[in-house]
Amino acid sequence: MRAEDLDEKFPVVKIDSDALDAVRLLAEHRLNGLVVVTDTSETPFAVLPASQVVRFIVPGYVQDDPGLASVMTESMADHAAEKLAGRTIRDMLPKQRQHIPVADADDTIIEVAEVMARLRSPLVAVVKDGKLHGVITASRLLAAALKE
Amino acid sequence: MNIFHAIYASTVFVVAYALITTERLNKTMVALAGATAMFFLPVIDSHEVFYSEETGIDWDVIFLLLGMMIIVSVVRQTGVFEYIAIWAAKRAKGSPLRIMILLILVTAVGSAFLDNVTTVLLIAPVTLLVCERLAVSAVPFLIGEAFAANIGGAATLVGDPTSIIIGTGAHLSFISFLANMGPAVLMVLAVLLMLLPRLFPGAFTVDPERVADVMALDESEAISDRKLLIQCGIVLLVVFAGFVVHKQIHMEPSLVAMAGAGILILISGLDREFYLSSVEWETLLFFAGLFIMVGALVRTGVINNLAHAASHATGGNEWLTTVLILGVSFLFSGFVNNVPYAATRALILGTVLGGNLTAVGASANVVVVGIAQRSGSPVSFWDFTKRGAVVTAISFVISLGYLWLRYFVLT
Repeated sequence: MRAEDLDEKFPVVKIDSDALDAVRLLAEHRLNGLVVVTDTSETPFAVLPASQVVRFIVPGYVQDDPGLASVMTESMADHAAEKLAGRTIRDMLPKQRQHIPVADADDTIIEVAEVMARLRSPLVAVVKDGKLHGVITASRLLAAALKE
Repeated sequence: MNIFHAIYASTVFVVAYALITTERLNKTMVALAGATAMFFLPVIDSHEVFYSEETGIDWDVIFLLLGMMIIVSVVRQTGVFEYIAIWAAKRAKGSPLRIMILLILVTAVGSAFLDNVTTVLLIAPVTLLVCERLAVSAVPFLIGEAFAANIGGAATLVGDPTSIIIGTGAHLSFISFLANMGPAVLMVLAVLLMLLPRLFPGAFTVDPERVADVMALDESEAISDRKLLIQCGIVLLVVFAGFVVHKQIHMEPSLVAMAGAGILILISGLDREFYLSSVEWETLLFFAGLFIMVGALVRTGVINNLAHAASHATGGNEWLTTVLILGVSFLFSGFVNNVPYAATRALILGTVLGGNLTAVGASANVVVVGIAQRSGSPVSFWDFTKRGAVVTAISFVISLGYLWLRYFVLT
Protein backbone atom coordinates (compact mmCIF):
# COMPACT_ATOMS: atom_id res chain seq x y z
CA MET A 1 0.00 0.00 0.00
CA ARG A 2 1.28 3.45 -0.93
CA ALA A 3 0.88 6.72 0.94
CA GLU A 4 -1.58 8.13 -1.62
CA ASP A 5 -3.86 5.09 -1.06
CA LEU A 6 -3.81 5.69 2.64
CA ASP A 7 -4.10 9.44 3.04
CA GLU A 8 -7.35 11.27 3.73
CA LYS A 9 -8.69 14.80 3.52
CA PHE A 10 -7.66 16.86 6.51
CA PRO A 11 -8.19 20.46 7.67
CA VAL A 12 -5.52 22.82 6.39
CA VAL A 13 -4.84 26.24 7.91
CA LYS A 14 -2.93 29.24 6.61
CA ILE A 15 0.10 30.39 8.55
CA ASP A 16 -1.23 33.88 9.30
CA SER A 17 -4.76 32.77 10.23
CA ASP A 18 -6.17 33.31 13.70
CA ALA A 19 -4.79 31.02 16.41
CA LEU A 20 -8.10 30.80 18.28
CA ASP A 21 -9.94 29.58 15.15
CA ALA A 22 -7.31 26.89 14.63
CA VAL A 23 -7.56 25.78 18.24
CA ARG A 24 -11.37 25.59 17.96
CA LEU A 25 -10.90 23.40 14.90
CA LEU A 26 -8.59 21.09 16.84
CA ALA A 27 -10.95 20.95 19.81
CA GLU A 28 -14.23 20.49 17.93
CA HIS A 29 -12.94 17.76 15.61
CA ARG A 30 -10.67 16.22 18.25
CA LEU A 31 -7.71 16.43 15.88
CA ASN A 32 -4.15 15.76 16.98
CA GLY A 33 -2.64 18.28 14.60
CA LEU A 34 -3.10 20.58 11.61
CA VAL A 35 -1.28 21.02 8.32
CA VAL A 36 -0.08 24.60 7.86
CA VAL A 37 0.36 26.18 4.41
CA THR A 38 1.41 29.65 3.26
CA ASP A 39 -0.70 32.06 1.22
CA THR A 40 1.48 31.53 -1.83
CA SER A 41 2.06 27.80 -1.93
CA GLU A 42 0.02 24.61 -1.65
CA THR A 43 3.05 22.73 -0.35
CA PRO A 44 2.89 22.10 3.41
CA PHE A 45 4.88 24.71 5.35
CA ALA A 46 4.64 22.97 8.74
CA VAL A 47 2.61 20.57 10.83
CA LEU A 48 1.20 22.06 14.03
CA PRO A 49 0.69 19.23 16.55
CA ALA A 50 -1.98 19.77 19.21
CA SER A 51 0.74 19.22 21.80
CA GLN A 52 2.54 22.32 20.47
CA VAL A 53 -0.62 24.36 21.00
CA VAL A 54 -0.88 23.02 24.54
CA ARG A 55 2.78 23.96 25.07
CA PHE A 56 2.06 27.47 23.78
CA ILE A 57 -0.57 28.17 26.41
CA VAL A 58 1.77 27.10 29.20
CA PRO A 59 3.60 30.30 30.30
CA GLY A 60 7.30 30.32 29.44
CA TYR A 61 8.26 30.72 33.10
CA VAL A 62 6.33 27.56 33.99
CA GLN A 63 8.12 25.68 31.20
CA ASP A 64 11.43 26.89 32.68
CA ASP A 65 10.36 26.06 36.23
CA PRO A 66 7.58 23.43 36.26
CA GLY A 67 7.20 23.81 40.04
CA LEU A 68 5.49 27.17 39.49
CA ALA A 69 2.46 25.48 37.91
CA SER A 70 1.32 24.45 41.37
CA VAL A 71 1.59 27.88 42.98
CA MET A 72 -0.93 29.42 40.58
CA THR A 73 -4.54 29.52 41.66
CA GLU A 74 -7.40 27.83 39.80
CA SER A 75 -8.68 31.13 38.39
CA MET A 76 -5.23 32.02 37.03
CA ALA A 77 -4.96 28.61 35.38
CA ASP A 78 -8.45 28.88 33.91
CA HIS A 79 -7.43 32.00 32.00
CA ALA A 80 -4.39 30.37 30.39
CA ALA A 81 -6.05 30.14 26.96
CA GLU A 82 -6.44 33.94 26.88
CA LYS A 83 -2.88 33.98 25.64
CA LEU A 84 -4.18 32.85 22.25
CA ALA A 85 -6.19 36.01 21.67
CA GLY A 86 -4.82 38.11 18.81
CA ARG A 87 -2.19 35.49 17.94
CA THR A 88 -1.67 33.71 14.66
CA ILE A 89 -0.61 30.19 13.73
CA ARG A 90 2.87 31.57 13.03
CA ASP A 91 3.18 32.64 16.68
CA MET A 92 2.41 29.12 17.87
CA LEU A 93 4.99 27.40 15.68
CA PRO A 94 8.42 26.78 17.23
CA LYS A 95 10.77 29.73 16.66
CA GLN A 96 13.33 27.52 14.92
CA ARG A 97 12.09 26.04 11.66
CA GLN A 98 11.43 22.32 12.16
CA HIS A 99 11.66 19.49 9.64
CA ILE A 100 8.27 19.04 7.98
CA PRO A 101 6.79 15.54 8.26
CA VAL A 102 6.16 14.97 4.58
CA ALA A 103 5.93 11.77 2.53
CA ASP A 104 5.80 11.28 -1.23
CA ALA A 105 2.60 9.86 -2.67
CA ASP A 106 4.37 6.63 -3.66
CA ASP A 107 6.06 6.04 -0.26
CA THR A 108 5.33 2.79 1.56
CA ILE A 109 3.82 2.47 5.03
CA ILE A 110 7.27 1.87 6.49
CA GLU A 111 8.61 5.05 4.91
CA VAL A 112 5.68 7.03 6.29
CA ALA A 113 6.09 5.39 9.71
CA GLU A 114 9.81 6.22 9.70
CA VAL A 115 9.09 9.93 9.10
CA MET A 116 6.39 9.92 11.78
CA ALA A 117 8.67 8.23 14.33
CA ARG A 118 11.78 10.29 13.55
CA LEU A 119 10.01 13.64 13.72
CA ARG A 120 7.66 12.55 16.53
CA SER A 121 4.74 13.91 14.56
CA PRO A 122 1.15 12.77 15.05
CA LEU A 123 0.55 13.11 11.30
CA VAL A 124 2.38 13.11 7.99
CA ALA A 125 1.43 15.25 5.00
CA VAL A 126 1.40 13.41 1.67
CA VAL A 127 2.60 15.43 -1.31
CA LYS A 128 2.02 14.64 -4.99
CA ASP A 129 3.41 16.83 -7.79
CA GLY A 130 4.41 19.45 -5.22
CA LYS A 131 0.86 19.82 -3.87
CA LEU A 132 -0.74 18.52 -0.70
CA HIS A 133 -2.58 15.29 -1.57
CA GLY A 134 -3.79 14.34 1.91
CA VAL A 135 -2.73 13.49 5.43
CA ILE A 136 -1.97 10.23 7.22
CA THR A 137 -2.56 10.21 10.96
CA ALA A 138 -0.84 7.81 13.35
CA SER A 139 -4.09 5.94 14.02
CA ARG A 140 -4.81 5.63 10.28
CA LEU A 141 -1.31 4.28 9.72
CA LEU A 142 -1.62 1.73 12.53
CA ALA A 143 -5.02 0.57 11.26
CA ALA A 144 -3.55 0.05 7.79
CA ALA A 145 -0.54 -1.77 9.23
CA LEU A 146 -2.83 -4.18 11.11
CA LYS A 147 -4.80 -4.96 7.95
CA GLU A 148 -1.57 -5.79 6.12
CA MET B 1 62.29 28.81 27.96
CA ASN B 2 63.29 31.65 25.67
CA ILE B 3 61.67 34.77 24.27
CA PHE B 4 60.23 32.80 21.35
CA HIS B 5 58.29 30.55 23.76
CA ALA B 6 56.96 33.63 25.56
CA ILE B 7 55.82 35.28 22.33
CA TYR B 8 54.21 32.06 21.11
CA ALA B 9 52.33 31.51 24.42
CA SER B 10 51.21 35.15 24.55
CA THR B 11 49.97 35.04 20.96
CA VAL B 12 47.98 31.84 21.57
CA PHE B 13 46.46 33.33 24.72
CA VAL B 14 45.55 36.66 23.12
CA VAL B 15 43.98 34.99 20.06
CA ALA B 16 42.03 32.54 22.25
CA TYR B 17 40.96 35.36 24.57
CA ALA B 18 39.76 37.47 21.65
CA LEU B 19 37.78 34.54 20.23
CA ILE B 20 36.23 33.80 23.63
CA THR B 21 35.15 37.37 24.22
CA THR B 22 33.69 37.88 20.76
CA GLU B 23 31.64 34.69 21.33
CA ARG B 24 31.88 33.79 17.63
CA LEU B 25 33.01 30.29 18.56
CA ASN B 26 32.13 28.03 21.45
CA LYS B 27 34.25 29.24 24.37
CA THR B 28 35.06 25.74 25.63
CA MET B 29 36.26 24.67 22.21
CA VAL B 30 38.48 27.75 21.99
CA ALA B 31 39.91 27.26 25.50
CA LEU B 32 40.71 23.60 24.81
CA ALA B 33 42.18 24.43 21.40
CA GLY B 34 44.33 27.14 23.03
CA ALA B 35 45.42 24.65 25.70
CA THR B 36 46.34 22.12 23.00
CA ALA B 37 48.37 24.79 21.15
CA MET B 38 50.41 25.26 24.34
CA PHE B 39 51.55 21.61 24.13
CA PHE B 40 53.48 22.38 20.95
CA LEU B 41 57.17 23.42 21.04
CA PRO B 42 56.38 22.41 23.95
CA VAL B 43 55.53 25.46 26.04
CA ILE B 44 54.22 23.31 28.86
CA ASP B 45 54.34 19.55 29.50
CA SER B 46 51.89 17.10 31.03
CA HIS B 47 53.54 17.12 34.47
CA GLU B 48 53.28 20.91 34.62
CA VAL B 49 49.63 20.74 33.49
CA PHE B 50 48.37 18.06 35.83
CA TYR B 51 50.64 18.12 38.90
CA SER B 52 52.28 21.52 39.27
CA GLU B 53 50.78 23.85 41.86
CA GLU B 54 52.22 26.87 40.02
CA THR B 55 51.41 26.15 36.41
CA GLY B 56 48.87 23.33 36.50
CA ILE B 57 45.11 23.06 36.45
CA ASP B 58 43.72 24.29 39.76
CA TRP B 59 41.87 21.13 40.73
CA ASP B 60 40.55 22.81 43.89
CA VAL B 61 38.63 25.25 41.69
CA ILE B 62 37.37 22.57 39.30
CA PHE B 63 36.13 20.31 42.11
CA LEU B 64 34.72 23.16 44.18
CA LEU B 65 32.67 24.19 41.14
CA LEU B 66 31.63 20.59 40.46
CA GLY B 67 30.65 19.98 44.10
CA MET B 68 28.59 23.18 44.28
CA MET B 69 26.90 22.40 40.96
CA ILE B 70 25.82 18.98 42.25
CA ILE B 71 24.58 20.50 45.53
CA VAL B 72 22.56 23.09 43.58
CA SER B 73 21.15 20.35 41.33
CA VAL B 74 19.74 18.55 44.36
CA VAL B 75 18.59 21.64 46.28
CA ARG B 76 16.66 23.06 43.31
CA GLN B 77 14.53 19.89 43.23
CA THR B 78 13.00 20.95 46.56
CA GLY B 79 11.34 24.14 45.25
CA VAL B 80 12.77 26.16 48.14
CA PHE B 81 13.95 29.01 45.89
CA GLU B 82 10.48 29.47 44.44
CA TYR B 83 9.02 29.37 47.96
CA ILE B 84 11.34 32.11 49.23
CA ALA B 85 10.81 34.34 46.17
CA ILE B 86 7.01 34.11 46.29
CA TRP B 87 7.01 34.53 50.06
CA ALA B 88 9.13 37.68 49.63
CA ALA B 89 6.81 39.06 46.92
CA LYS B 90 3.80 38.53 49.20
CA ARG B 91 5.56 40.16 52.16
CA ALA B 92 6.02 43.21 49.93
CA LYS B 93 2.21 43.39 49.82
CA GLY B 94 2.20 43.88 46.06
CA SER B 95 4.27 47.06 45.99
CA PRO B 96 6.50 46.69 42.90
CA LEU B 97 9.40 48.63 44.44
CA ARG B 98 9.31 46.58 47.64
CA ILE B 99 9.01 43.38 45.57
CA MET B 100 12.05 44.39 43.55
CA ILE B 101 14.03 45.19 46.70
CA LEU B 102 13.18 41.84 48.27
CA LEU B 103 13.87 39.86 45.08
CA ILE B 104 17.20 41.67 44.73
CA LEU B 105 18.08 40.80 48.32
CA VAL B 106 17.07 37.15 47.76
CA THR B 107 19.19 37.09 44.60
CA ALA B 108 22.20 38.72 46.26
CA VAL B 109 22.11 36.35 49.23
CA GLY B 110 21.51 33.35 46.94
CA SER B 111 24.36 34.24 44.63
CA ALA B 112 26.73 34.69 47.56
CA PHE B 113 26.44 30.97 48.13
CA LEU B 114 25.49 29.65 44.71
CA ASP B 115 26.71 30.28 41.21
CA ASN B 116 25.39 33.61 39.81
CA VAL B 117 23.87 32.12 36.68
CA THR B 118 22.10 29.41 38.66
CA THR B 119 20.69 32.00 41.04
CA VAL B 120 19.39 34.11 38.17
CA LEU B 121 17.91 31.06 36.45
CA LEU B 122 16.11 30.17 39.67
CA ILE B 123 14.75 33.63 40.44
CA ALA B 124 13.81 34.74 36.90
CA PRO B 125 10.79 32.43 36.36
CA VAL B 126 9.26 33.57 39.68
CA THR B 127 9.95 37.19 38.73
CA LEU B 128 8.16 36.72 35.41
CA LEU B 129 5.21 35.11 37.18
CA VAL B 130 4.91 37.93 39.74
CA CYS B 131 5.32 40.66 37.11
CA GLU B 132 2.72 39.06 34.85
CA ARG B 133 0.29 38.97 37.79
CA LEU B 134 1.00 42.65 38.52
CA ALA B 135 0.87 43.53 34.79
CA VAL B 136 4.20 45.36 35.07
CA SER B 137 7.27 44.96 32.86
CA ALA B 138 9.66 42.31 34.19
CA VAL B 139 12.67 43.91 32.50
CA PRO B 140 13.67 46.30 35.35
CA PHE B 141 13.33 43.42 37.83
CA LEU B 142 15.48 41.10 35.72
CA ILE B 143 18.19 43.73 35.18
CA GLY B 144 18.19 44.52 38.91
CA GLU B 145 18.55 40.81 39.70
CA ALA B 146 21.52 40.48 37.32
CA PHE B 147 23.20 43.39 39.15
CA ALA B 148 22.43 41.76 42.50
CA ALA B 149 23.74 38.36 41.36
CA ASN B 150 27.05 39.89 40.31
CA ILE B 151 27.36 41.95 43.48
CA GLY B 152 26.40 39.06 45.78
CA GLY B 153 28.85 36.76 43.99
CA ALA B 154 31.75 38.88 45.22
CA ALA B 155 30.84 38.33 48.87
CA THR B 156 32.04 34.78 49.43
CA LEU B 157 34.66 32.35 48.22
CA VAL B 158 31.99 30.21 46.50
CA GLY B 159 29.80 33.00 45.13
CA ASP B 160 31.25 33.33 41.66
CA PRO B 161 33.78 31.37 39.57
CA THR B 162 35.89 34.53 39.61
CA SER B 163 35.83 34.58 43.41
CA ILE B 164 36.63 30.86 43.52
CA ILE B 165 39.64 31.24 41.22
CA ILE B 166 41.12 34.33 42.87
CA GLY B 167 40.20 33.26 46.41
CA THR B 168 41.71 29.78 46.15
CA GLY B 169 44.68 31.12 44.16
CA ALA B 170 45.40 33.60 46.94
CA HIS B 171 44.82 30.85 49.57
CA LEU B 172 42.11 32.92 51.26
CA SER B 173 39.96 31.07 53.78
CA PHE B 174 36.15 31.29 53.50
CA ILE B 175 36.02 33.57 56.54
CA SER B 176 38.88 35.86 55.54
CA PHE B 177 37.38 36.17 52.05
CA LEU B 178 34.00 37.10 53.55
CA ALA B 179 35.58 39.49 56.05
CA ASN B 180 37.51 41.25 53.26
CA MET B 181 34.81 41.38 50.60
CA GLY B 182 31.60 41.40 52.66
CA PRO B 183 31.68 45.07 53.79
CA ALA B 184 32.28 46.36 50.25
CA VAL B 185 29.54 44.13 48.86
CA LEU B 186 27.06 45.29 51.51
CA MET B 187 27.80 48.93 50.74
CA VAL B 188 27.41 48.48 46.99
CA LEU B 189 24.19 46.53 47.49
CA ALA B 190 22.75 49.18 49.81
CA VAL B 191 23.49 51.89 47.25
CA LEU B 192 21.95 49.79 44.46
CA LEU B 193 18.73 49.49 46.50
CA MET B 194 18.64 53.23 47.08
CA LEU B 195 19.20 53.88 43.38
CA LEU B 196 16.37 51.64 42.13
CA PRO B 197 13.66 54.35 41.74
CA ARG B 198 16.12 56.49 39.73
CA LEU B 199 17.45 53.59 37.67
CA PHE B 200 13.98 52.46 36.67
CA PRO B 201 11.65 55.47 36.75
CA GLY B 202 8.03 54.65 36.02
CA ALA B 203 8.52 50.93 36.59
CA PHE B 204 6.67 50.80 39.89
CA THR B 205 3.14 51.84 39.00
CA VAL B 206 0.60 49.11 39.46
CA ASP B 207 -3.17 48.67 39.31
CA PRO B 208 -4.25 47.93 42.94
CA GLU B 209 -6.63 45.25 41.66
CA ARG B 210 -3.67 43.26 40.32
CA VAL B 211 -2.07 43.09 43.76
CA ALA B 212 -4.68 40.53 44.84
CA ASP B 213 -3.39 38.21 42.14
CA VAL B 214 0.06 38.16 43.70
CA MET B 215 -1.33 37.72 47.20
CA ALA B 216 -3.31 34.72 45.91
CA LEU B 217 -0.17 32.81 44.91
CA ASP B 218 0.35 29.83 47.18
CA GLU B 219 4.07 29.54 47.97
CA SER B 220 3.60 26.39 50.06
CA GLU B 221 2.70 24.50 46.87
CA ALA B 222 6.20 25.24 45.56
CA ILE B 223 7.78 22.86 48.07
CA SER B 224 7.67 19.59 46.19
CA ASP B 225 9.56 17.35 48.63
CA ARG B 226 9.64 18.30 52.31
CA LYS B 227 11.85 15.38 53.36
CA LEU B 228 14.43 16.33 50.72
CA LEU B 229 14.21 19.95 51.83
CA ILE B 230 15.13 19.01 55.41
CA GLN B 231 17.96 16.78 54.19
CA CYS B 232 19.30 19.56 51.97
CA GLY B 233 19.03 22.09 54.79
CA ILE B 234 21.10 19.92 57.13
CA VAL B 235 23.75 19.10 54.51
CA LEU B 236 24.02 22.76 53.42
CA LEU B 237 24.53 23.81 57.04
CA VAL B 238 27.27 21.20 57.43
CA VAL B 239 28.89 22.24 54.13
CA PHE B 240 28.97 25.93 55.00
CA ALA B 241 30.21 25.11 58.50
CA GLY B 242 32.91 23.09 56.73
CA PHE B 243 33.80 26.11 54.59
CA VAL B 244 34.11 28.26 57.72
CA VAL B 245 36.41 25.85 59.58
CA HIS B 246 38.16 24.26 56.59
CA LYS B 247 41.61 25.35 57.76
CA GLN B 248 41.04 23.79 61.17
CA ILE B 249 39.74 20.51 59.78
CA HIS B 250 42.45 20.46 57.09
CA MET B 251 40.00 20.16 54.23
CA GLU B 252 40.06 22.48 51.26
CA PRO B 253 36.64 23.96 50.27
CA SER B 254 36.71 21.71 47.20
CA LEU B 255 36.74 18.59 49.39
CA VAL B 256 34.03 20.01 51.66
CA ALA B 257 31.81 20.68 48.62
CA MET B 258 32.49 17.27 47.09
CA ALA B 259 31.75 15.57 50.43
CA GLY B 260 28.48 17.51 50.72
CA ALA B 261 27.57 16.62 47.15
CA GLY B 262 28.32 12.94 47.76
CA ILE B 263 26.22 12.86 50.93
CA LEU B 264 23.31 14.58 49.17
CA ILE B 265 23.44 12.12 46.27
CA LEU B 266 23.42 9.22 48.71
CA ILE B 267 20.62 10.36 51.00
CA SER B 268 18.39 12.02 48.41
CA GLY B 269 18.04 8.89 46.30
CA LEU B 270 17.62 11.10 43.24
CA ASP B 271 18.36 9.77 39.75
CA ARG B 272 21.48 10.87 37.92
CA GLU B 273 19.53 13.16 35.56
CA PHE B 274 18.41 15.20 38.58
CA TYR B 275 21.57 15.37 40.68
CA LEU B 276 23.66 16.24 37.63
CA SER B 277 21.07 18.61 36.11
CA SER B 278 22.94 21.80 37.07
CA VAL B 279 26.42 20.47 36.33
CA GLU B 280 27.87 22.44 33.45
CA TRP B 281 30.50 20.06 32.10
CA GLU B 282 31.39 22.55 29.38
CA THR B 283 32.17 25.21 31.98
CA LEU B 284 34.46 22.83 33.87
CA LEU B 285 36.31 21.93 30.66
CA PHE B 286 36.49 25.63 29.77
CA PHE B 287 38.22 26.37 33.07
CA ALA B 288 40.62 23.45 32.61
CA GLY B 289 41.61 24.85 29.21
CA LEU B 290 41.95 28.34 30.64
CA PHE B 291 44.17 27.13 33.49
CA ILE B 292 46.48 25.40 31.01
CA MET B 293 46.82 28.57 28.94
CA VAL B 294 47.49 30.73 32.00
CA GLY B 295 49.91 28.05 33.28
CA ALA B 296 51.82 28.38 30.02
CA LEU B 297 52.03 32.16 30.51
CA VAL B 298 53.40 31.58 34.01
CA ARG B 299 55.83 28.95 32.73
CA THR B 300 57.21 31.27 30.04
CA GLY B 301 57.58 34.16 32.49
CA VAL B 302 54.95 36.36 30.80
CA ILE B 303 52.87 36.83 33.97
CA ASN B 304 55.96 37.64 36.00
CA ASN B 305 57.07 40.25 33.46
CA LEU B 306 53.58 41.79 33.39
CA ALA B 307 53.62 42.08 37.18
CA HIS B 308 57.05 43.73 37.05
CA ALA B 309 55.88 46.12 34.32
CA ALA B 310 52.79 47.10 36.34
CA SER B 311 54.91 47.60 39.43
CA HIS B 312 57.42 49.68 37.44
CA ALA B 313 54.62 51.82 35.93
CA THR B 314 53.39 52.71 39.39
CA GLY B 315 56.88 53.19 40.77
CA GLY B 316 56.27 50.37 43.26
CA ASN B 317 53.62 52.47 45.02
CA GLU B 318 51.16 50.00 46.52
CA TRP B 319 48.18 52.37 46.41
CA LEU B 320 48.77 53.30 42.76
CA THR B 321 49.14 49.60 41.88
CA THR B 322 45.83 48.86 43.59
CA VAL B 323 44.10 51.70 41.72
CA LEU B 324 45.60 50.51 38.42
CA ILE B 325 44.46 46.90 38.92
CA LEU B 326 41.02 47.96 40.13
CA GLY B 327 40.51 50.35 37.21
CA VAL B 328 41.76 47.96 34.55
CA SER B 329 39.77 45.02 35.93
CA PHE B 330 36.56 47.07 36.19
CA LEU B 331 36.95 48.21 32.60
CA PHE B 332 37.97 44.82 31.19
CA SER B 333 35.21 42.92 32.98
CA GLY B 334 32.63 45.34 31.70
CA PHE B 335 33.28 44.72 28.07
CA VAL B 336 34.29 41.08 28.02
CA ASN B 337 32.83 38.24 30.01
CA ASN B 338 34.55 38.40 33.40
CA VAL B 339 35.30 34.69 33.69
CA PRO B 340 38.47 34.50 31.55
CA TYR B 341 39.94 37.64 33.06
CA ALA B 342 39.66 36.20 36.55
CA ALA B 343 42.24 33.55 35.77
CA THR B 344 44.89 36.24 35.61
CA ARG B 345 44.35 36.76 39.33
CA ALA B 346 43.02 40.32 39.04
CA LEU B 347 41.38 42.03 41.90
CA ILE B 348 38.07 40.45 42.89
CA LEU B 349 36.10 43.62 43.33
CA GLY B 350 37.09 44.88 39.90
CA THR B 351 36.44 41.67 38.01
CA VAL B 352 33.16 40.73 39.68
CA LEU B 353 31.54 44.14 40.14
CA GLY B 354 32.86 45.39 36.79
CA GLY B 355 30.73 42.68 35.18
CA ASN B 356 27.71 44.93 35.71
CA LEU B 357 28.92 47.51 33.20
CA THR B 358 27.42 46.05 30.03
CA ALA B 359 24.97 43.38 28.94
CA VAL B 360 27.86 41.05 28.09
CA GLY B 361 30.05 41.81 31.10
CA ALA B 362 28.98 38.76 33.07
CA SER B 363 27.29 35.44 32.37
CA ALA B 364 24.32 36.42 34.57
CA ASN B 365 23.70 39.49 32.39
CA VAL B 366 23.74 37.42 29.20
CA VAL B 367 21.30 34.94 30.75
CA VAL B 368 18.95 37.70 31.93
CA VAL B 369 18.92 39.38 28.52
CA GLY B 370 18.08 36.00 26.95
CA ILE B 371 15.24 35.37 29.43
CA ALA B 372 13.80 38.84 28.81
CA GLN B 373 13.94 38.24 25.06
CA ARG B 374 12.13 34.90 25.36
CA SER B 375 9.48 36.43 27.59
CA GLY B 376 8.67 38.94 24.85
CA SER B 377 10.34 41.98 26.48
CA PRO B 378 13.72 42.36 24.79
CA VAL B 379 16.44 44.39 26.53
CA SER B 380 18.78 46.26 24.22
CA PHE B 381 22.51 46.44 24.90
CA TRP B 382 22.13 50.16 25.58
CA ASP B 383 19.11 49.68 27.89
CA PHE B 384 21.23 47.47 30.08
CA THR B 385 24.47 49.39 29.73
CA LYS B 386 23.18 52.87 30.61
CA ARG B 387 22.04 51.48 33.97
CA GLY B 388 25.03 49.16 34.32
CA ALA B 389 27.38 52.10 33.83
CA VAL B 390 25.79 53.95 36.74
CA VAL B 391 25.95 50.90 39.02
CA THR B 392 29.54 50.16 37.97
CA ALA B 393 30.71 53.75 38.43
CA ILE B 394 29.26 53.80 41.94
CA SER B 395 30.70 50.35 42.68
CA PHE B 396 34.12 51.59 41.52
CA VAL B 397 34.02 54.63 43.78
CA ILE B 398 32.83 52.57 46.77
CA SER B 399 35.48 49.88 46.11
CA LEU B 400 38.22 52.46 45.78
CA GLY B 401 37.17 54.19 48.99
CA TYR B 402 36.87 50.87 50.80
CA LEU B 403 40.28 49.63 49.67
CA TRP B 404 41.92 52.91 50.57
CA LEU B 405 40.31 53.13 53.98
CA ARG B 406 40.71 49.50 54.92
CA TYR B 407 44.14 48.64 53.56
CA PHE B 408 45.98 51.96 53.46
CA VAL B 409 44.52 54.10 56.23
CA LEU B 410 43.41 51.67 58.91
CA THR B 411 46.40 49.30 58.61
